[in-house]
Amino acid sequence: MKERMYRISAFAERVMLELLRDPLSYVFALGFPLVMLIVMTLLSESIPPEAEMTVFRIDNLAPAVYVFGLSFLMLFTALLVSKDRTEAFLVRLYISPMSRADFLLGYTIPVLILAVLQGSVTMATAFGIAAFTGDSLNPAGMAAVLAVSVPAALLFIGFGLLFGVLFSDKTAPPLSSVVISLSSFLGGMWMDLSHMSGVLVMLCDLLPFRHAVDAGRMALAMSFDGIGMHLAVVSAWTAAVYLLAIPAFRKKL
Amino acid sequence: MSEKSEIAIRADGLVKRFGAFTAVDGVSFDVERGTLFSLLGVNGAGKTTTIRLLTGLLRPDGGHAEICGYPAGSTDAARLIGLSPQETSTAGNLTVRENLIMTAKIYGFHDAAARADNIIGRLGMGEFAGRKSKHLSGGLRRRLSIGMGIVTEPKVLFLDEPTLGLDVIARRELWTFLEELKKSVTVVLTTHYMEEAEALSDKIAVMANGAVKASGTLAELRTVSGSAAGERLENVFLRLAEGGERR
Ligand SMILES: Nc1ncnc2c1ncn2[C@@H]1O[C@H](COP(=O)(O)OP(=O)(O)O)[C@@H](O)[C@H]1O
Ligand SMILES: [Mg+2]
Repeated sequence: MKERMYRISAFAERVMLELLRDPLSYVFALGFPLVMLIVMTLLSESIPPEAEMTVFRIDNLAPAVYVFGLSFLMLFTALLVSKDRTEAFLVRLYISPMSRADFLLGYTIPVLILAVLQGSVTMATAFGIAAFTGDSLNPAGMAAVLAVSVPAALLFIGFGLLFGVLFSDKTAPPLSSVVISLSSFLGGMWMDLSHMSGVLVMLCDLLPFRHAVDAGRMALAMSFDGIGMHLAVVSAWTAAVYLLAIPAFRKKL
Repeated sequence: MSEKSEIAIRADGLVKRFGAFTAVDGVSFDVERGTLFSLLGVNGAGKTTTIRLLTGLLRPDGGHAEICGYPAGSTDAARLIGLSPQETSTAGNLTVRENLIMTAKIYGFHDAAARADNIIGRLGMGEFAGRKSKHLSGGLRRRLSIGMGIVTEPKVLFLDEPTLGLDVIARRELWTFLEELKKSVTVVLTTHYMEEAEALSDKIAVMANGAVKASGTLAELRTVSGSAAGERLENVFLRLAEGGERR
């Protein structure tokens, strides 16, 4: 067990260094949510209050931007894995005494750390914005957002692993942007789904994205009633994606 | 580490198919401990696929393979082998030293840093130890890749086209290194450079269309192919690979 941890952390360290030494990580994972929050808040200033658009209010916006930001981690993961595959770095892992579960963990843990870091930047920015706009955010709620978003973070990392192992570093990015767009449109990030109905909303309910956003929003408001259902849907998707990724890593050289 | 066999590698009737296509078609050979064995063949002959079967990356559709008496692909075998694949296969954003340390740690070695420094010395890469591998020249990156294959002190080392894309000087430097290396490790290398196989190998297997056309020492290959004594490997090869034209 201890030996296993040693191997996993050696590989996780490599993935972490690889991410931290890539400027893209800072631009997308950390800079992007920050800019997005500020721009969206400025935009929402021009929406008249009569419109009753609440999605751009900072307490609704911050969790949405966080989940949106997480979807970029999927892209990073996919690029890293597909590069490791095409450059045969994966071959080294395959022939090493590490098991597949070991190196899947080794990929996952550093990106998850980056996700929490990203969430912290997002929440800190939101806190600053709230101070400006005269709203207030509960620090306990902000911490809760980070906690309840772990399944969502894993979901996107899992998608990244899956796309990375199945597709080339040319195909994986466009596929990732499909998921990014889906999550943004069907996640109720920029529109209020609660007053809508129909096939589209049913689809939103089936997919994990709106549940991830809703869970974040509930956590920020510290109202946890019914959050279990949202987390269950996200977790089920996450489990499914990882269950697909594991055999995919065996098949693809 | 226990060693069950004097034969380092045994390939016995290996078959690998991709769909209807047979990439490796009944390959058999033995590699004795402490020798350098070359798999020689044109592109597409089945060299890489054979290496993948021996390292357990692929499962054979027929036949079987052993590494020091352990089934290829088993954990016991995995601990005994090192590999430098045909592709780059280093972590681009990690330095030379970091790549070596990481590899040693993945194999569970706790003296990873000392091992890395030892390999850096043996590879003569001291001045590049702190350079990211993506900024290395092709020759140096290949050297690092081999270093990552030996930092775990394998009994058997597989080098897939180790000199592919190297200039003459880098190639000769690598030859010198391999000459030194083969004193301590059993080496299997694939190449389509005749002079390379001729210069380095104890034994050579000539592959064409997925099959071993002949194997043995250069002298034995000359005899089998009906070549004159002192005939260059290139001519011997052409005779042996006859009918096994490039696909
Ligand atoms: N994964 C694969 N799927 C389909 N065909 C493959 C695969 N790997 C190798 N081949 C085919 O098998 C043959 C032998 O390939 P390979 O072992 O890479 O040859 P070599 O290393 O001698 O150049 C080639 O014709 C190649 O196209
Ligand atoms: Mg090859």
